Amino acid sequence: MTLTQDSERVEQAALLSRSVDDFVRRGTDVSRMRRLRDTEPGFEPSMWSQFAEFGWLATLIPEEHGGLGLGLSEQRIVLQGLARVLTPEPLAACAMAICALRHFPASKICSELLPRIAAGEVIAALAWQDTDELAPTTKDAPRLHGPADAYELTGTSRFVHGAHGASGFVVYCEADAGPALVWVPSDSPGLRIETVPLADGGRAASLHCASVPILSAHLITCGAQARTVLENALDEGMVMIAAELCGVMGGAMDMITSHLCTRVQFGKPIGSFQALAHKAVDLYIQQQLSSAVVDQAVAQMDAGCDQRQRSMIASRAKARCSDAALRITRDAIPLHGAMGFTDEFDIGLYLKRAIVLSSWLGNAASHRRRFAALNDVSSR
Amino acid sequence: MSAAQAVSRPDYNAMENDAFRREARAFFAAHFPDNMRFIMRRMRWADMKDWYVAAGREGWLAPNWPREWGGLGLTPEKRLIYLEEQEEWGISRTHEHGVVQVGPILMKYGSTEQKQTYLPRILSGEHLWAQGYSEPNAGSDLASLSTSAVIEGDHFVVNGQKIWTSLADDATHIYMLVRTDSSRKKQEGISFLLADLKSPGITIRPIRTIGGHPELCEVFFDDVRVPRENLVGELNQGWTVAKSLLSHERINIGSPRRPQYALRRLEQLARAKGLFEDQGFVDRFTSISLDMADHVSLYLRYVEIMKQGGELGQDVSMLKIWITELWQRITELLLEVSGSHAAVPGILSMEGVDVDVLSTFYYARASSIYGGTNEIQRNVLAKYVLKLPN
Repeated sequence: MTLTQDSERVEQAALLSRSVDDFVRRGTDVSRMRRLRDTEPGFEPSMWSQFAEFGWLATLIPEEHGGLGLGLSEQRIVLQGLARVLTPEPLAACAMAICALRHFPASKICSELLPRIAAGEVIAALAWQDTDELAPTTKDAPRLHGPADAYELTGTSRFVHGAHGASGFVVYCEADAGPALVWVPSDSPGLRIETVPLADGGRAASLHCASVPILSAHLITCGAQARTVLENALDEGMVMIAAELCGVMGGAMDMITSHLCTRVQFGKPIGSFQALAHKAVDLYIQQQLSSAVVDQAVAQMDAGCDQRQRSMIASRAKARCSDAALRITRDAIPLHGAMGFTDEFDIGLYLKRAIVLSSWLGNAASHRRRFAALNDVSSR
Repeated sequence: MSAAQAVSRPDYNAMENDAFRREARAFFAAHFPDNMRFIMRRMRWADMKDWYVAAGREGWLAPNWPREWGGLGLTPEKRLIYLEEQEEWGISRTHEHGVVQVGPILMKYGSTEQKQTYLPRILSGEHLWAQGYSEPNAGSDLASLSTSAVIEGDHFVVNGQKIWTSLADDATHIYMLVRTDSSRKKQEGISFLLADLKSPGITIRPIRTIGGHPELCEVFFDDVRVPRENLVGELNQGWTVAKSLLSHERINIGSPRRPQYALRRLEQLARAKGLFEDQGFVDRFTSISLDMADHVSLYLRYVEIMKQGGELGQDVSMLKIWITELWQRITELLLEVSGSHAAVPGILSMEGVDVDVLSTFYYARASSIYGGTNEIQRNVLAKYVLKLPN
């Protein structure tokens, strides 16, 4: 990238950041998420159309498919900004599916889907795991069988985020010739979508496939490439969720500092007591470490780096942000006193979103182990 | 240094970063004594003299000073590279107050005569400076200091006591904050004074640290006569003078290098002992390694601001808090990994790895105290960054 392109991109990022902030101030707030808790699909389709108009669904989609052809640096701005007010729309989930699809510009199904996703007409989700661990494909995993003109998919994908309201799924499965990625429309016969309610009032799903017919045109890829593309999409997903966790941290820190400045006890604002002020500073340091790692992750991934480096920085970002967001939102509860323990008060919603995001795509402990394993391969 | 000599040296600021890095590394490798590398305490003059004089003579002692005064005149970016290479090479801290504090302060506030008298003698090693700031009753609350300086004719008469003055028994001069007016608000009655440590009435008592080295001192002043021309800046402006150091000096204390060295020793020792076969240990080691890696990401954010020529705000204090406490955790794990050896002072040989476990551990203890305690840094962040009420 040349210097002019670079400074242009910085300028565009600043513009994007302003428009997201502006939207968050005027167009939405935490009460919307509160209202949509435990409903289906759990978000507002009208809001989704608005995101499409803003171009926020098109960020990662290549220009030749109706997208903006931008990178994680820009996607991060949108995700982090919206997560500050716990936006319920499944932006990160859909973006992960985009990350898988955009690797196949020549594929007919991908070139059909991508422009429609950018326009907000199609919502996609990625289905890849069948246990609660950070490893795809075990015994229950979906299997693709049958002849090319009559493929069928059987098996279960679990913890599929963004499944409700999705038009279809990019499903990672095992075929005779190795791993494969297929497109499964959500109205396919034989597909049962079982709701898994989540802590924050959102929803994940288990996809139970019983001989679901798969058009040969819907076979996206088969063989080693399927695994590589999945891993890339997951690494990108980890960083995107880390960015959302940064947004959650930002919203929670705002609540904490504002409470410490306004709540008066013993005749003083409680933020004047060192025990509380120092705790807030330690949380702030965690927030800053988190955003610094995400800065580095999006820059490194956008600049292009090898698979191992991508996975290492993605695990670093997901590990730090998961731990930091849980710590900040957990400590935020007692900092708000008994009020913090009520459902009525918003800080609990931040804790619950942090729980959901930190356990999605691997928690901190599993990412530290993944990092250690990746680090081991080359250096020792 | 003559102007002719100054221009004969290459323009380091114009060099590519990597080329300058190689240049710095080569200089340290050629001039710093091998047996002095990575020593976990402040080194005394007798041990460091040859290195100091050579670095001063070659113009490599003062990266932050302009070339006209014999420094390297580096840009902030190049200065960071200098610092990184210095720490990477394990150059011990020694008499640095002249270069780091007195020089920049005199260049900003000193008279022409003060600059001409003191600056060349800092680089030659003729003058070694100690810092007289803290007092027994003025530590974190430095502005409440009470050592007094009363004008009598051409002199100030100084009475009182300074403490925690590193290597004062080794130094020739002291720069100090003294009370020159006790009727004003505490910050407004302080002046910045230079004194010769050989002046009659000065008594120096070394203090051994928990590491067993006499690095710190107490300095007593009993009717010490200091010439009036040793006042730096205006009378009662000492607080402003002392606080004037540029914000980018404050990033130095957040540098990861020394703790990274401790982490590498920990890794070597743990590997030699087969601890990487133990998942419990691997988990703890990985966690601490990521705390370091993420610190580096945060540190680089500030480096980037400096490269762009920006000023660092009060938020830079968080680097000091995080890295010093991480450094301490690393050395705690080092102690644990050393098993029964942890109780033995000195350089130990364990499974073929030589490491001075206790010195490493003790050295890290000081880091959360000096340069403003971590509790004071938290107060600063609470007040200026989080804007919490007082």
